[in-house]
Formats: sequence, C-alpha cells, structure tokens
Amino acid sequence: MKKEVSRRKFLKYMGATALTAGSLGATSKALGQAKPIPKDPIKIAAVSFLTGAAAAPFGIPGDNTYKMCADKINAEGGILGRKIDLQSKDEAGGVDAQVKLCRKLILEDKVDVVLGYISSASCLAVLPLADELGGLIVAYDCGTHELMEGAKSPYDVPKFKLGFRSKAHLGIDNIALALYIKKNYPKINKIAGINQDYAWGRDSWLIFETAMKKLMPQVQMVKTLWPPLGNTDFTAHISALMGSEPDIVHSSLWGGDAVTFSKQALGMGFFKKIRMAYSRGEPYPQEVGKDYPEGQIICCAGTHYFLYTPKDKASADLQKWFVGEYQKRYGKYPSYPCYHAFQAIFAYKHSVEKAAKAVGGWPTIEEIAKAMTGITFPTPSGMLTIREDHNGIEDCLVGITKLTPKYPFPILDKMEIFPAAQVNAPIGMKTVDWINSWK
Amino acid sequence: MWIIYTLNGLYFAALLFLISLGLNIILGVMGILNLAHGSLYAIGAFIAAWIIITLGTQVPPFFLYVSLLSGLVGVGIVGFLMEKSLIRFMYKRTLEYQLLLTFGALMLLEDVIKMIWGGQAYYASAPFELLGKVDIFGNVYPAYFLFVMFIALIAGLLIWLFMSKTKLGIMLRAISLDREMATGLGLDITGLSTFAFVLGAGLAGLAGALVVPTTPALLGFGHEPLIFGFIVVVVGGLGSLKGALVGSLLVGFTRSFGIAVFPEIELPLLFLIAGIILVVKPEGLFGR
Repeated sequence: MKKEVSRRKFLKYMGATALTAGSLGATSKALGQAKPIPKDPIKIAAVSFLTGAAAAPFGIPGDNTYKMCADKINAEGGILGRKIDLQSKDEAGGVDAQVKLCRKLILEDKVDVVLGYISSASCLAVLPLADELGGLIVAYDCGTHELMEGAKSPYDVPKFKLGFRSKAHLGIDNIALALYIKKNYPKINKIAGINQDYAWGRDSWLIFETAMKKLMPQVQMVKTLWPPLGNTDFTAHISALMGSEPDIVHSSLWGGDAVTFSKQALGMGFFKKIRMAYSRGEPYPQEVGKDYPEGQIICCAGTHYFLYTPKDKASADLQKWFVGEYQKRYGKYPSYPCYHAFQAIFAYKHSVEKAAKAVGGWPTIEEIAKAMTGITFPTPSGMLTIREDHNGIEDCLVGITKLTPKYPFPILDKMEIFPAAQVNAPIGMKTVDWINSWK
Repeated sequence: MWIIYTLNGLYFAALLFLISLGLNIILGVMGILNLAHGSLYAIGAFIAAWIIITLGTQVPPFFLYVSLLSGLVGVGIVGFLMEKSLIRFMYKRTLEYQLLLTFGALMLLEDVIKMIWGGQAYYASAPFELLGKVDIFGNVYPAYFLFVMFIALIAGLLIWLFMSKTKLGIMLRAISLDREMATGLGLDITGLSTFAFVLGAGLAGLAGALVVPTTPALLGFGHEPLIFGFIVVVVGGLGSLKGALVGSLLVGFTRSFGIAVFPEIELPLLFLIAGIILVVKPEGLFGR
C-alpha cells in the first residue's frame, strides 16, 4: 500500500528542509563573508610634520616611531601575516593641503588606514572625511578637546563612525597641572599664563584656568599673554610676566617657542622668582640640556616619560623595549609624540586582530572600527583604552625638573600620576562643563 | 621693570632696524619690493647657526662672535646671485611682476633652506650664553642683547657715513632720488643696483645671524621679521634711513610696552598705527 504523506507531515518535512537549507545557506554565507586574508601588504599612511616648526619636536620623532613600530610588527610576522607598507607623508602646507592629501590617500591610493596629524587644525578638518569617504582615520597627536566633543553636554557619541583619536586630549595635561599645583603649592596667590595665540594655546589656558578657579578659587590670574606662533623674541613677554609677579606661570608653548622662551627667560633671571608649569613640557629638558632650569613643573601629555614604569607587566616590557630601541636607533630618549605614534599604529593592529577573531577573516573597515571602540591594550606608557566616544583616555604624569649626575639634562622628580578617571571628562560630557560641575 | 621694558623695546628695534634698513635700501635704490627679504634673513640665521655649531667649543669665544658676520657675507653672496639671475630683469617691469617674482623667490629660497639644512631646528646659543648676564639697577639682563644693540648701532652709523660721505653712497642716493637723471648723468646703474641689493641682503643676513643665538633656526624663520619689516617701512617711510630708525623704535617700544600693559591688543595696535599712517601720511613719517 502506497503510504500517503499527509498534508500535515508534508508541511512538517518542508519546514524542516527549509530550516536546514536556510541554516546551511546561512553558514555558507558566513563562510563566504569570512574573507580570506589578502597576501598584499597593508598600506598605512603616517602623516606628521616632516618640515616646519613642528617637525623637529614632534613630526620627526613621531615618524621615526612609526617606522620603528612597523619594523617590529613586520619582524614579528605582520598583522595576521600581512606586512605593513608604511608611507610617511608631510603634514605641512595647511589645512586645505591636508584635506586634499587625505582624500587622495583614501580614494586614490586606497590606504587601509590613515594614522596622523599633530596640528589640531588638521584633525578638525580631516576627521570628518573618515565618514564621508568611508576610510579609517586615527588621529595620533593633536590635542584639541573639541575634536570628539559635541556642541553642548550631553552629546551623542561617537562623533565620527570611522574617525578615532588614540590618545587623550589636552584636557588631561591642564587638569593634571592644576591638581598638582593644588596639592604641592597650596599657598600660592598669583598665577599668570603665556600661551600661543591660536586654538591650542587658547584651549589649553581655558581648561587650566577653569580647573584652577574651581580647585583654588583664591588664586588671582594676574596676566595672560598670547605670543604668536613662531615668536623669536620673548623678552617683552618675559619682562611683562616678571612685572606681574606671579608665583607660577602656566604655558603650553611647544617646539622652538618653548626652547626660545626657556633660554631667554634664563638669561633674564626669570626662574629665580617664578616657576613655570608646562602642559606639554616633557621633550624640552632633553632638548635644552643641563641648562634647563630646575624646579619647573612639567606634564607629560599622559604618562609618556622614558623613566616611567607602567604597573602591568606587558606595558612595562614594552616600555623597556621602546626606550632601548628608540635610543639605539635615534640616539635620544623617546618623547611624548613617539608614544602617541606607538599608540596609533598598535591601536590599528590590535583592532584588526580583535575584529578578525570575531568575523573569522580579514575584517572590513566598519568591523575594525567596531573593534577599536572600547579596546584596551598595553603600550609603553601603560594600558590604553579608546572609549565609545572614539577618544583615548590616559593617566597623566606630572613632575618637577631636577638635575642628577646620571643624565645630561634635568629629569622629573616628585612624579605623580593622576588616574584617567580624575583627568578625563565622562563620555558625552564636555570637559569645561565637567570641570564646572566639580564639587 | 620699566628700564627692562625699554631695553626690550630697544633690542627688538635694533633687529628691526637692520632688517628694515636692508628692505629700505633695496626699495629706495632699486624700486624693488623684496618679499624674499625674510628668507634672506633666515638664510643668514642658518649659515651662522651652522658655523657656530661646527666651530663648537674648539675655538676661542672671540671667533664665535666674528662668525656672526658670516650671515652678512654669506647672504651678500646669495643676494648677488639672486640679483644677477632674477631681480635685474624686473627693473623695468611693473610692481605686480616684482611681487610675483620676489614671492616666487621666497618659496624657492624656503626650499633651498629645506634642501640644505633639512627640516630640523638648529640651536646655536653659545654666543648668547658665553656673554652671560649683567645687572641693570637690580634687574638681570642678558649681555648678548646689549651686544646686538651695539652692533645695530655701529651698522646704522656705518651706513649713514657711507650714504652721506662716500662717493658710492652719494651715487646710490642719486639713483634713489631720480633714476632717469642718474642714468642720464652716466652712472653705472646696473653695477650700483647689484651693489645695493647685495648690501640690503647682507644686512638682512646679519640680522638673522645676530638673532640665531637667542632662538633656534627653523623653516619659516623669516616670515615674522618680513611682516614687522614692512610695518617699519610703512611707518617710517620709503627709502629713508631716519624713517627706518624711527619706525623700528616706534614698533619696538609699542610691542614691548604693549605686551606689558595691554597684551590682548599689542599686535592689532601695531597694524592700527601702520594703517593710520597709511591714511594720513601715505609716504610714511619720513618718506619722500
């Protein structure tokens, strides 16, 4: 007797078949999506100032570090077996030139990632291109707190889906300085400021002044000076500061300006009466040498200091390699831009590896961006986290210059580390609003 | 403190005087508005820095100070080459051509600096540090700044003597007063123009060399002095030694006291003064 298949049974079988087919289809689709790992090298564009005032203090050390790190990664087998093809590019030429260059890198050269930018103006102009062009951009050294912050608190994050900054913004330097001053010089009455007359200087002073007013409301701001970028004669500024008799002078001067100011101030007896507090002064004692004045408060733009040992072993081992290798290659101790370059290139490496694990193959740009959001990894200056707002947060180290027989320049004494939570605003809150909300 | 503010003003004025004097000679004698003047100043700084760093501590300090003259000589040679190869073709052209050409020369010289010295900073502070500090009514002041003022004073006096007492100087003045008449009188305009350009360029180079012990030589080093140099020329007047002196002092003191008293508007104030002078006395305070 021919066994009749009932309608109910038929539908059941059909359903099961469909489910099996569906799941098989899904599996094969997933397997199809798991792109094989390409054989060709990963194109990484590293954009730093290779010429101009910012080249010597930041751009060249940063670029050196990219090369050193790419060599390390390649020697260890690359990223998922793919070697890095590093392309150094110059950040000089202004914002328009950088926008053009970035478009070319993403659209024509089809680089896998753009790591770069020292100037805040470059970052502000270029980061929006990430989402517009569908390219991954990781800002590595620029400081402005406005880059990832919205117009008012609370703001939505992330501001850019494919744009990141693998370091903390200038808020940490200036908040840490204010905290250090409050703790170590509680009796001071007068503070002055000398900052360059553009976004970097203005933003740095804004954060520092806001934090100081909150932490030490009794302190008077007696003078604020705004020399132009690239100023070669600071004598008038030095005298004006001395004339206003502050206890401490805040400064975010960088590069040649920082060195010129120090040397001229030294010649005018400035440091006998006044103490400087530099928000990013870390490179300059090494730059100036033994004549760099002692007793100056210096912030390291994070915990980026060659004599700092991170708490976790992985980071401490990296720091040992980093300082030794950089010194061997370039004859100097690494300065903070070097640490920033390490963070950017390794943020990419760790994110690709994390994303690859999740998707089972070479990830898309979107998948890498997803993996980079919230990632934590070891760096020579400690564990680094890139938050959901696509901005790195870091602890911050402040110390005081002191000459020792061991080094031909003053090193930092009385070092204090301010934890990331103490110097970074919470996600979605503007830094200035956060400081103003302190109790 | 006021005496230090005054000295700061004098120091800045001394440098500006050398820069604007060169700018003025080139403008007055040759009628060329040299936008590359700041680059010549920068080349002076790089040459001097390079020599000071090379000499290091192996030579007696006296030679370090003599080496500052390398800015004058070296940039004089650059000026000679520049005049012979570029500038001489511009004498009969209108101002727009000169501006285009000298702006092109500015870009070219920046690249030459980049090719020769690279992108890094050159620190050559030995002459600044060796002279130490002096006590001026209880205020510490670097002796090197006084040295710069002294050199600028000597240079100013020499140029004044040269322009008013020597035949060559008088011929240069004649050209600046009336080029056609000077040609008609049979003066060697070509040779004298080359000389004026070399002298003007050399003065810019000397200023660059004098400033480099106080600040590192970097790419883009000549931009700020060019702007201030033009303010001095606008304020003091074209082709006038007295104008260069008074203009430099006015800018130097406005800047020094401005930073001490009203730092927020110190720079706009300088441009405002230049603007008012342009409107009220377009030829400048001592211009013709």
